[in-house]
Amino acid sequence: MTGGERMVTAETAAEPGGKAFAVLGLFETAEDILAAAQGLRDKGLGRLEAYTPYPVHGLDAALGHRRSPLAGMVLVMGFIGAVSAFLFQMWATGIDYPIVVGGKAPMAWQAFIPILFEVMVLFATFTAGLGMLLLMNRLPFYGHPILSSASIGKITRDRFALSLEAYGGAFDAREARAALEEAGATEVEILPAPEPSGPWSANYLLKGFFAVGAACLVAGYATYWAVKLFPVLPPMVHMEDQPKLDPQEPSALFRDGRGMQSPPSGTVARGFLPYSPAAPEEAAGLANPLPRTEPVLDRGQKAYRTHCAVCHGVLGDGVPTLTASYGAKPANLQARAIRELSDGKIYDAIVRGKNAMPSYAPHLSVEDRWSVVHYVRVLQRAQNATDEDLERGGRP
Amino acid sequence: MRADAAVPEALRTPPLTDGAVTPASLDEQVLRFPETKPPRKWFLALAFTASLMTVGLALIGYTICTGIGVWGNNRPVFWAFDIINFVFWVGIGHAGTLISAILFLFRKTWRNAIARFAEAMTIFAVMCAGLFPLIHVGRPWLAFWLFPYPNQRALWTNFRSPLLWDVFAVSTYFSVSLMFWYLGLIPDLASMRDRTQSPFRRKIYTVLSLGWRGAASHWSHYEKAYLLLAGLATGLVLSVHSVVSFDFAVSLVPGWHMTIFPPYFVAGAIFAGFAMVVIVLVVVRETMNLKNLITDFHLEVMNKVILGMSCLMAYSYLMEGFTAWYSMNPYLHHVFRQYVGGTYGWAGLLTICCNVLIPQILWFRRARRSYFWMIFVSVAVTVGMWFERFVIIVISLHQDYLPSSWHVYKPTLVDFGILFGSLGLFFTLVLVFARVLPVIATTEVKMVLPGAQPGRHGAP
Repeated sequence: MTGGERMVTAETAAEPGGKAFAVLGLFETAEDILAAAQGLRDKGLGRLEAYTPYPVHGLDAALGHRRSPLAGMVLVMGFIGAVSAFLFQMWATGIDYPIVVGGKAPMAWQAFIPILFEVMVLFATFTAGLGMLLLMNRLPFYGHPILSSASIGKITRDRFALSLEAYGGAFDAREARAALEEAGATEVEILPAPEPSGPWSANYLLKGFFAVGAACLVAGYATYWAVKLFPVLPPMVHMEDQPKLDPQEPSALFRDGRGMQSPPSGTVARGFLPYSPAAPEEAAGLANPLPRTEPVLDRGQKAYRTHCAVCHGVLGDGVPTLTASYGAKPANLQARAIRELSDGKIYDAIVRGKNAMPSYAPHLSVEDRWSVVHYVRVLQRAQNATDEDLERGGRP
Repeated sequence: MRADAAVPEALRTPPLTDGAVTPASLDEQVLRFPETKPPRKWFLALAFTASLMTVGLALIGYTICTGIGVWGNNRPVFWAFDIINFVFWVGIGHAGTLISAILFLFRKTWRNAIARFAEAMTIFAVMCAGLFPLIHVGRPWLAFWLFPYPNQRALWTNFRSPLLWDVFAVSTYFSVSLMFWYLGLIPDLASMRDRTQSPFRRKIYTVLSLGWRGAASHWSHYEKAYLLLAGLATGLVLSVHSVVSFDFAVSLVPGWHMTIFPPYFVAGAIFAGFAMVVIVLVVVRETMNLKNLITDFHLEVMNKVILGMSCLMAYSYLMEGFTAWYSMNPYLHHVFRQYVGGTYGWAGLLTICCNVLIPQILWFRRARRSYFWMIFVSVAVTVGMWFERFVIIVISLHQDYLPSSWHVYKPTLVDFGILFGSLGLFFTLVLVFARVLPVIATTEVKMVLPGAQPGRHGAP
């Protein structure tokens, strides 16, 4: 702070009723200041404060300072840090998204202890450090009159100062000066009260708004460009642009110039045996190799509903689930002609297709096809139940 | 307090300064460095370390652009120089916290003169350490994934993983060390603010010292906060290297899966850290004429700590070997045979030689007070501790349970370049710090000068 625009000088401040903020007396040694502080404390000439280059033992007691409440604050904040870290880990790992990693239980509380400890220390240390600075000592504060006094350089080097300060109450600067000189101060300085300048003065507000606005502008633009450029710049794209062939890509590696190679002729895919019957008539003799068990029927139902039900209907009655604009006439699987077909014939229709129906061989494995045949039989029986079936409660 | 006369000569604390030192002369001596132009030697040293650093940074850039395939890491040695360097640097950082926090709690006033430097080294070492996990993830621009922040993938980090504990431990350690260091600097910065003649510098120091005015009420909170921070940092420093050791101990790799690891790592960290502090302090007191403040007594005490830690390391090695033998686990037996034999046997023997045998020289008082032996031992310890991590990490990994996946690890030039680059970064930061900030905590030294405190003449 500059003392350039002071309305009061040290002389006028010392007058009775003058605007003195404090009277500062300098002492040579720690012992002197301790003795002087004990003597001045009870005189009630103003608020007694000492300024020293380093902590002087016993000065707190002499000035009557209360014990620092930091330890209690640190204890509470450390506890809050520990509990919140623990609960957060429990919630994130055990409740919000439980994933088993390395065979550890989601609520493995032992594994949360290290982070509990670290967060506890983090909360506690920052409470101690910042609590001391910001809450207890009200720093940073650049406007204290002592900072613009002539003595501050001596105080931060090797001299000890006692000051009587006007905080409320009556303050007589001359009386205070006399008392300090009597207590043995080698130099006495009167500090005039500074001109009040709050954070709400127009100058401050304007500067503040300008600074915040500029900072927002810069940060916003920087973020915008970072987000925009981030995914498209090397080396960030290296994971996407890998030196490998993608499907359908040309490649100079092979003679035909294609990246994808067809399998050698005669290759048989897993679960797809070559289909031997040359004509539907030959397929009539095929027997369903799968047993009529519940898992098989479940599998048949799933495959039927996935691949067949869109045209043949969920009940197999030939009513498609598609709209009316669908022109084809799918077969009604409940029709007598189809009910009387052998399993092999139905199987053949799935493999070869029929009329407008294409082959479903690529979509359904052999087991799926035979399961569907089973399931079609179930649908047919369900839609054409006999009295006998009713008596048996649907059991075969 | 016992009267000094009742204490035998050997147990008396010698004076903490050589010759007469007053608060004013102390300021004159220490705080003038930022005001004066550095000598040519400093610029030469800086040029050397900065070029090392530049090489390291360039190689890091090359690694990031190309991928970590440019390192020697392979299957099964997934961790090599990257993690070795990380553990090495974090360990070096620990001495600073030990000096500033633990010795503070023990009221060892000799720490006051060296605490500032040691704390600064902590911060620089942790910066070097943090670099390695950052680049070893391969895509460092996504390193923020390490922190549990709400994201669109609806995923949380894996809180049951030691690697995440490590993230929390090291980032906590860094931020706490930084704050601890800065709080200690504030009163010194206030002294500099009031000393300096240059208006430009005064502006900077004014802002940085936050308007510190040395009020007694402020000091009382300050001392309380410092005490609390020292207590918390003590717990923290012991926890951080324990957590680093969990990275290994919680896994099932033979040679890693051991309960001795946390204290063993902490001891090793303090050991390596003290060696580095001795190296730097010797250089600083010589080049900056601080012999009267950092006295022979300081260096001797530091060397005694190194000697004690060396004995502790010997005990740890023996205990580790005994545990391995006693386990009757053939895999463990195999790994421990590899430590002192096989492809990398020389590394294990070098470790034992540097960490256990060479420091024994310090039993002799002459060696504790001679620069040559001091530096010799400290450099040996630094090398030995680096190789200890090499032994633990690479040798344990390169031959694990499956002989079919055994593989020999060979570092590449890029690996070495980044290692020496990190050393360059560290020493560059140390050199810059030495010229721009008070290298000795003047406020703390003033406190313990003879006659500084009322009613107590002579050193406490």
